[in-house]
Amino acid sequence: MDTVSPVKSLTRRISTTIAGVAGAVVLAGCAQNAPQDTWQPKGDNAQMITSLDKLVFPIAGIVGVLVSAFAAYIFVKFRDKGQAIPAQSHGKPIVEIVLTIVPALILTVVGVFTFRTIMDLAETQDTEMIINVTGQQWWWEYDYPAQADQGITQPIITSGQLVIPEDTNVLLRETSRDVIHSFWIPALNGKKDAVPGRIHLLRMQADQPGIYAGQCTEFCGLSHANMRMEAIALSKEDFAKWVANQQKPYVAPAEGTLAKEGEGVFINQCARCHQVNGIKDANGKAIISAPDENVYSGAAPNLTTLMTRNTFAGAMFDMVNQKCRADVWNAKSEEFGAKYLAGVTEECLNEKTLRAWLRNAPAMKPMYADPAKLEKTNGLYRGMPNLGLTEDDIDKLVAYLLTLK
Amino acid sequence: MAIIERPGTGTTPVVATPQQTLGAVKRPVETKGWREWLFTVDHKKIGIMYGVVAMVFFIIGGVEALLIRLQLAMPDGQILSADKYNQMFTMHATTMVFLFAMPMAGAFANYFLPLQIGARDVAFPRINALSLWLLIIGGLVLNASWFLGGAADGGWFMYAPNSGPIFSPSHGVDFWVIGLQIAGVASLLGSINLIVTVVNMRAPGMSLMKMPVFTWMILVVQFLLVFSLPVITVALVLLMLQRSYGATFFDVSQGADPLLWQHLFWIFGHPEVYVLILPAFGIISEVLPTFARKPLFGYPFVVFSGASIGLVGFGVWAHHMFASGLGPVSVAVFSVATMAIAIPTGVKIFNWLLTMWGGKIWYTTAMNFAIGLVVLFTIGGLSGVTHSVAPSDTQQTDTYYIVAHFHYVLFGGMVFGLFSGFYYWWPKVFGKMLNEKLGAWNFWFMVIGMNLTFGPMHILGLQGQPRRMYVWTEARAGEGFFNLGFWNLIASIGSFILAVGVLFFLINVVITARSKKQAPLDPWDARTLEWLTTSPPKAHNFDRIPVVHHLDEFFHRKYEEDTATHTMKKVAEGEDLVRVEEEAADAHIHLPSPSYWPIVLSVGVGLLGLGTIYGIPMIVLGFAITLFASYGWILEPSVAEEIDFEPSNNDGNTKEIAPLG
Repeated sequence: MDTVSPVKSLTRRISTTIAGVAGAVVLAGCAQNAPQDTWQPKGDNAQMITSLDKLVFPIAGIVGVLVSAFAAYIFVKFRDKGQAIPAQSHGKPIVEIVLTIVPALILTVVGVFTFRTIMDLAETQDTEMIINVTGQQWWWEYDYPAQADQGITQPIITSGQLVIPEDTNVLLRETSRDVIHSFWIPALNGKKDAVPGRIHLLRMQADQPGIYAGQCTEFCGLSHANMRMEAIALSKEDFAKWVANQQKPYVAPAEGTLAKEGEGVFINQCARCHQVNGIKDANGKAIISAPDENVYSGAAPNLTTLMTRNTFAGAMFDMVNQKCRADVWNAKSEEFGAKYLAGVTEECLNEKTLRAWLRNAPAMKPMYADPAKLEKTNGLYRGMPNLGLTEDDIDKLVAYLLTLK
Repeated sequence: MAIIERPGTGTTPVVATPQQTLGAVKRPVETKGWREWLFTVDHKKIGIMYGVVAMVFFIIGGVEALLIRLQLAMPDGQILSADKYNQMFTMHATTMVFLFAMPMAGAFANYFLPLQIGARDVAFPRINALSLWLLIIGGLVLNASWFLGGAADGGWFMYAPNSGPIFSPSHGVDFWVIGLQIAGVASLLGSINLIVTVVNMRAPGMSLMKMPVFTWMILVVQFLLVFSLPVITVALVLLMLQRSYGATFFDVSQGADPLLWQHLFWIFGHPEVYVLILPAFGIISEVLPTFARKPLFGYPFVVFSGASIGLVGFGVWAHHMFASGLGPVSVAVFSVATMAIAIPTGVKIFNWLLTMWGGKIWYTTAMNFAIGLVVLFTIGGLSGVTHSVAPSDTQQTDTYYIVAHFHYVLFGGMVFGLFSGFYYWWPKVFGKMLNEKLGAWNFWFMVIGMNLTFGPMHILGLQGQPRRMYVWTEARAGEGFFNLGFWNLIASIGSFILAVGVLFFLINVVITARSKKQAPLDPWDARTLEWLTTSPPKAHNFDRIPVVHHLDEFFHRKYEEDTATHTMKKVAEGEDLVRVEEEAADAHIHLPSPSYWPIVLSVGVGLLGLGTIYGIPMIVLGFAITLFASYGWILEPSVAEEIDFEPSNNDGNTKEIAPLG
C-alpha cells in the first residue's frame, strides 16, 4: 500500500500550514505602514485589547501546535503497517474528564481577563471630552458640543476627519441617520456600531499626535467600501488652534475675484444642502441650508472649513495631492500638528479629483442619486447628485472652496 | 410499490391488492423514467435528489465566490459594480448556507438515517417529498431574482434597516425573504420527520446509546432546527410585511429598534452554524472509526458533547453582536458562554484523535477528508476562541479575520466532512467506487487551495481589511510583507486552485458513472447497519429488519474478539451476512406508494409566496393550488389500486431481491 508518502506529505503539509498561519499571525503585528493594522495600538483603549490578544493568541497558538503535533504523530505511528485489527476499546472516562477540565481551566483564565477588559473599556467616568458622531450613507459627521474646559465655546460641526487632542479621554456618542454603520479606528479602539435611534458610547484616546486611519465596518449599502474616516490627534496647543480656526467668523471672498463668483455658484447650487456657517446672500441675509428637503438622511457635510480637512466625500478621496499627502501621513509626531493645520493650499490641492467630483459625483462614488430611481424615498437623494455644472462654474467653485479654511 | 408479498425464499414477489380506500384522485404507481423521480416518496431517491440539487447550488455559489475573489484580486477591482458585488456576496452566503450546506446534510440524513437505524423509510414519506420540492422551489425563487431585477443586496444577515424598502428598493430582498421562508418550511417539515423517524422507527435492540453517531448528530441538528427555524420564520414574516405591506417593525422613524432584527436573526443564525457543522461531525465520526478499525473513542462523550454544543449554541447568539452596543454585562455573559462552547468542541477533537490512537489507519480519500476536517476545524476553532474574547472581537469582527475563521470552520470543517461522506458512501448509494486516484487529486487541490484562499485572510483581517467591500484601496494596503495587495492576490489564486479541486470531484463522478465496474458490497470493512444490505440498497432497504445487539452492529457480526490477544478476527464477510438476511426475508413488506401531491403543493406554495411580490391574483392562484393539493393529499388512498399498476413482467422484480453475485 502506498500510504507512507501521502502520510508524510500530509503531516508535513499540516505542520507547515499551522506554522505558517501561526507565524503569519505573530509577524502581522510587526508589519509597518498598514494604516488599519489592528496590532499597532496608539492609545490606551487599543492597548488594553492588544494586551488581551497577547494572552489569547499565544495560548491558541500553543494549543494548535500541540494538537497538530499530536495528530501528526498519530497519523504516522498508527498507519496500517499490517498489524492486526486492534481491540475494540470504547474509551477511558478518566482521559475524557482530564481533557474536559484542562481546556475549561485555560478558558477560565482567559475569561477572567476578558471580563475585566470589557468592564474597563465600558468605563465612562474618566471622560474629558465629548464628541457626537453620526453616520449616514456614506460619510461621518462630527459634532463638538460646547465644552468650555476644552476651549470649545460654540458647537463645531465637521466631517470626514475626527480631530481630537492628544492624551485626552474622548467619549464618542455614536448614532446614525439612516442605516447601521460602525465606527472603527483600529489604532485607537475596537469598533462600535452607530445605530439609528440609539446612542452608543466609544472611548477614544491617542498617545501622540498623528493621523489614524479607519473604515466603516458595518455593511451599510452601496458605497460601504468607500465610507472611510481618519482620526487626527493634535497636541493640546495645536488642538486649541484648530478649535479657534473652526470658530472664527466667516470671511466672504473679496469682490471681483473668481472666488467671489464661486460663492455665487455655491449659493445657487450647493447651499441647499451644504452649510457654510456665516455665508450671506446678496441682501445680507444668512443662508441656512435645508438638507432634509433634499437628502434622505437629512444631512450633508458642513463645508465651513472644508480646506482644513485633507480628504473629502466620506474620506474616499484625498483633498491633497500625492506629495502633500505623503508629507502629512509620514510626518513625525512633533511636526505633524503644524503640517496638518496648514490645511489645503492651492499648490497641494488635488484639483483633478475635486473637479471630477463637482462635475459628476455619482460617477465617482456609487450612490442613489439618480432622480429617476428615487420613487421609494419621495425624491430624496442618498448621496450627491450630478448638478450639471459647467466647466466655468467648476473653475469658480474650486476657487471659492479654496477659501474655506 | 405498495405491498410486496414475499414467501420466505427468494421467489418473485407479488404485488398485493389493498382494500380500496376513499379518495378522489388515484395514486400514481411506480413508473419508469422521470416520473419515478418526480413522484417518489422513497427516502433514498429523495436523498439522491437532495444531493443533486445541493451540488448544483454548490457550483452556483462557488462561481459567485470566484467572481468575488476576481474582483478583490487587485485594488479598485473592475469586474463587478458595487451593486453587483453586494448581490454577489449576499447570494454566495445565502446559497452556500441554505441551498448547499443544509440540503447536502439533508441528502445524507435522508439517505442514511433510515438505513443506519434499520428502518425501511422515514416516518412521513410524503412529507419527506414535500420537503425536497419546497426546497427546490425556494432555491428557484431565490435565484430567479438574478433575472428579475437583481438579487438581494443586504448580506445574508440582512440587517435592518438596510434591508427595508427605502435602502434596498429592488425586489431582490423580497425574493430572498420568500425563498428562505419556503426553504425554511421545508427544513422544519424535514426536521420533524426525522425526529419522529429516529424516535419511533429504530430496529429492535437499537437503544439510543447504540445509535450510530451520524444518526445522533442528525437528531441533534433536527432539534436545533425545530427550535431555531420558527425564530427566523417570524423575522422573515415581519420583514415581508414591512417590505410588501408597509408595516414598520424595523422602521426607526416609527420607533422601531433595529437591534430587534439582529437578535431574531442570530437566535436562529447561531444554532444554524451548528446545524451546518454537526452533520459533518457525524460523518467523520463514522469514517474515522471505520478506517482506524476501532470504535469511536468515548462514544457517550462525543454524543453528549454534540448535544451540549447544540444546547449551549442557543445561548451565544449575541457574540455576533459584540460591536452592536449591547452593554458591557451582556457582552461579558455572551463572551464567557461562547468560550464555554469551546470545551465540548475540544472534547470532540480529542476523541477523534484518540479514536485513531492505537488504530490501524487506512488512508483512503474518505479518511483524508475526515483527517482534513479534524486539522482544519481545529485551526478554525482556535481562531474562534480568539474572537470569543469580546474586546479582541471588536477589532476582528467584520474584517477578513472573521471570514478566515468561518471558512476554516465551514469549508475546512463542514465541506471536508461532506466530501469525506461522498467518498465513503458513494459505493453504497450507487454501487460503484469513486476513483481513489482522482480522489487524491481532489483532496490535495482542495487542501492546498483552501489554505491558500482562507489562510491569507487571517493576515488581511488583522491588517484591518473589512469584509463586504466591493473594492479595497491601495491607500490602506500598507507596504512590506504583509501588504494587502500580495495576500489578496494569493487568496484569489488559492480560490481557483480550490475550484480545480472541486472540478476533480465532478470529473470523478462522471468517470465513475460511466464505469461498469461494480463496487464490492463492503469495500471499507464498515461498521454500521447501512452496509447490511445490497449496494445500492433495495427499495425496502432490508430484507429482514435487523435485531441490534451492539454499537457498530455490522462490525460485530463480522468480527469476534480473540480472547487471548484481544485483537479482532474476521468470522464472516459482509456478503455472507447479507445473504443470510436475504434468505430470511420478511413477507408482507409495506412501502408507501408514490404521490402527486407533494410537488403540486410545493408549486402552490411557491406561487403563494411570489404573490407577495406580484400581487393579489397570484396569491389567489397559489392559495387555490395549495388548497386543492392539500385536499388531494388528505383524500389520497393510502396505496394505489391494483389495476393502476403496470402488469408485472416476469423478470421485473428481480432487482428487488436480486441475490448477490
